Formats: sequence, C-alpha cells, structure tokens
Amino acid sequence: MAVLGLVVATAGCGRTDDENTARTVTDDFLAAVDSGDGEQACTQLSPDTRAELEKQEQRPCREAVTDLGLEGGSVARVQVYALSAMVELSSGEAAFLDQGEQGWRLSAIGCEPVGGKPADRPYDCELES
Amino acid sequence: MRALRNHGLALFFGLIFLASLVGQAFTGQDDFNHLQVAHHEDPISIGRYVTSSDYWVDVLENWQSEYLQFTLFIITTVWLVQKGSPESKELNKIGRESDEEQKVGRHATERSPKWARVGGLRTRIYSNSLLIVMAAIWIASWLGQSVTGRIAYNAEQFDHHEAAVGWTRYLTTSDFWNRTLQNWQSEFLAVGSMAVLAIYLRQRGSPESKPVGSPHDSTGVEG
Repeated sequence: MAVLGLVVATAGCGRTDDENTARTVTDDFLAAVDSGDGEQACTQLSPDTRAELEKQEQRPCREAVTDLGLEGGSVARVQVYALSAMVELSSGEAAFLDQGEQGWRLSAIGCEPVGGKPADRPYDCELES
Repeated sequence: MRALRNHGLALFFGLIFLASLVGQAFTGQDDFNHLQVAHHEDPISIGRYVTSSDYWVDVLENWQSEYLQFTLFIITTVWLVQKGSPESKELNKIGRESDEEQKVGRHATERSPKWARVGGLRTRIYSNSLLIVMAAIWIASWLGQSVTGRIAYNAEQFDHHEAAVGWTRYLTTSDFWNRTLQNWQSEFLAVGSMAVLAIYLRQRGSPESKPVGSPHDSTGVEG
C-alpha cells in the first residue's frame, strides 16, 4: 500500500516546475514574435520544429517565424504529462511542447481544434514537427 | 540455514520478484528510449524512467490482475467446487462451513489465533481477513493503474497534438480497458486450466497436486 501511495504521489512530482517552464518558454516565444525578434523566437522551438519551418518556408527560421500569422494572446492554461505539455492561449489557439535534453521546447504552434471532441482528433497546427 | 529452509518459498519468490522488477526497469527504459529516438526525441535516464508513469502503469496493470485472480479464487472456492481437483475443497463442504470445522469461537484451540478465539466483530473480520487484504491490494493497484495510465495516455495525446482527458473519461477509454482485460484474460485462463489440469495430471511432491496415485475423481486432496 505504501508503495502504491508513493507511486501516485510521484506521478505528480515536479509538475509545477515543468508547468512554469512550459509557460515561460511559450511566453518568451510569443513576446519574441510580437517584437519581431525571430532569432530569439527560434531558440524556443525544438530542433525538428525549426527544421520543419525552414523546409516549409525555404528560408531561415529567424526570418520565417515572424510571418506565421499566429494569433498570439496570453497563456490561459498549462497542462503537463510526463515529457509533454499543452499550453492553451487566450486567443483560443494552443501550443504543444516536449521536454528533451535542452529543456522544454515548442513542438507545435498555432494549433486549433478541428471539431468534435478535442481529445479524439489532432489539432490543426500552423507549424508542427 | 533452518530459517532459510523454513521460509524458502517466500524468500525465493521475493527474490525473483525483485530481480524481475529490476529487469523490467532496464528493458522498459530501453524500449521507451527506442521509441523516443524513433520520434526524434531525447532518451531518458533509468532514474527518470523508474519514476515515470510509463513504468508504473506497466507494473500496476499486472499487479492488479494478479491480486484480482487470488481475490476471486479465495471467494469463489468457498461456494464453487471442482470434482477431482486439488484446488477445490470436498464436494460436500460448499459454503462457509460450521464454526466447529473452522475452529472459531468456542471451537478454537489453544493455539488458534487470538481473533479466531474472541468471537464477535474481531472474529468476523479475521474470518475474512485474507479476502479483505487481497481485495484491498487489488483495488489500490487498479486505482494506481488508472492514475498512472492516464498520465501516460495524456502524454501520448500531447505527442500527437490531441487534448488530454480527465480521469473519469480515461476510465471509459479503450487504453484503460485493453490494459485491464489483456491481463485479466490470462489470469482467468491460468487459474481455470490449473483447476482442471490438476484433476488428471500430477506433480510428485507438490501440494498443488494430488498424490501421484490418487484417483482422478478424488477431490480436495493435496499431495
């Protein structure tokens, strides 16, 4: 029983730190895009997401990221499960993050639900890896 | 040495349990990291893996089914019998049996456990204590499976850019029931087949078997 209690307690361990970091990464990304600082915005994207953007737009990430047409807004809700997070924005858009050796980085941005229950279908994202 | 011999069964299973749990941790981490790399994500350490929901949901889904198996076996063998099986009691002893047969209350002996002698609520509780504890571990493990399973499920949902589900919604998902039923079916098959195979087959020296020369239709006899 003690083991089981420990398991359930451990399951939520460190989540607040992760939520704060995921929030900060998203905030930093949105602020950088808002101020036109593409270089800074790209540091908040995962390597795969950066590569996908450069492949899609056929130009460097720092130039393409500020032209994505994101609605932005402030962070309304952060959810973290294991190595993955979802950040919902006041605009209704969402972003997804993964935790890797570089910490939390954005793997998808400008995501909107596509109808039906949002847990049953993938969001439609402006950019995703 | 005498203590080792007298507790050999518990010690042996305790040791192979721990060895298997450690083995599962390393093979599980390897499998998890294989998928991480396949998804262009970074591998994680063994310390991180053994505190992850992915590890514990795999552990707990097996624990719950094992304890359910024994819980069901304990309770059903009070009323259900199997002719010829050493897993069954004698055919004419169906039910909870008399106080005399169970050595409780005034029928208890000097060496009976205290709670079997005292009568009242304590004897009622003690008379069902094995079932109560096994069922409690089953429920706690199944609850733990649902909590850790939901975390692992939602992490995968986010990986696929889908929304997370709440705990009650998770209980209705195929992920939860697939994990549950794939373990239940194997336990029920093993228990049922053991009860039937032991009617006709023997293992000399094992209390799980009838004596080798016992007839097929003798019930409730252990070797």
